[in-house]
Amino acid sequence: MSEHSAVSDPKTAHIQHHFVDSDQQFDSAKLGMWIFLVTEILFFGGLFAAYIVYRAWYPDLYLQASAELDTFWGAVNTAVLIGSSLTVAMAIRSAQLNQIKGLIYNLYITIGLAFVFMVIKFFEYTHKFDKGIFPGEYYTYEGIAHEKANIFFSIYYMMTGVHGLHVTIGIGLMIWLVYKAKKGVYHSGYYTPVEITGLYWHLVDIIWIFLFPLLYLID
Amino acid sequence: MSGHHISSAKFLWTIGAALFVLTVITVAVTWIHIPGPWNVVVAILVALVKATIVALFFMNLYWDDKFNLMLLFLSIAFFILMIGITLLDTLYRDDPIPSF
Repeated sequence: MSEHSAVSDPKTAHIQHHFVDSDQQFDSAKLGMWIFLVTEILFFGGLFAAYIVYRAWYPDLYLQASAELDTFWGAVNTAVLIGSSLTVAMAIRSAQLNQIKGLIYNLYITIGLAFVFMVIKFFEYTHKFDKGIFPGEYYTYEGIAHEKANIFFSIYYMMTGVHGLHVTIGIGLMIWLVYKAKKGVYHSGYYTPVEITGLYWHLVDIIWIFLFPLLYLID
Repeated sequence: MSGHHISSAKFLWTIGAALFVLTVITVAVTWIHIPGPWNVVVAILVALVKATIVALFFMNLYWDDKFNLMLLFLSIAFFILMIGITLLDTLYRDDPIPSF
């Protein structure tokens, strides 16, 4: 009964019956993740479209309103996310080399960096709320001499808010990965959830790479 | 194709350092005040370089099945299509500014 011995072997226990082998299952999972990332790119694409249309209509508004955003903290957050992408890549490398402790440590650092990102974002948001910079009709700030100033911040809150939601989901996913890794689920022959969560995390990083210059660096 | 490419730690740190340097560059170019619209063009170009580096070497598309790279290109193509068709409308309206 070779089939039964294959199922009980911890190195192959992850293989679902409808896949030929571990590699086919791994590549299928990755293909599925890439198709999801395509929908994510087009989902954020709608927000970028709104950004581009309004920037074409009100170039002066973007110039003035962007001055309210703190370039320093935007740059710090960019560095934080790049660092977290590096630690996710290191986590995947650890899993590939069967270094489960390294995998868990790198996931911890990534989770920590993601929290740093969200804490900085929290202080950026509350700083604006204190001034009355709210999205849409709730906007009460009078420091920007442009009648459509609320539009820039509606776009700002939507883009960074949806991005922040993705970071928060990423934190949840990585806590789940740590939990599974501690139970000994992952090894060099099976680390698919680490790999595809990594792909997700890198996409969240890429989106911030575009958001940072487009929102903060308009001079 | 190899879905299991293992990068060396040194290589990953080099990629991370390159991304960090490019972040410094994208901030630094705003200090020299390139006249518009070239400031936007430079900012987008640097962001595109950074995104390409992440996609190729962190997301492993460089070593991966080329089908996944094609999916990424398709999403970019459809994104450009969406922007293009939207701008064909919004840039050429008789009354370009809506009331909201």
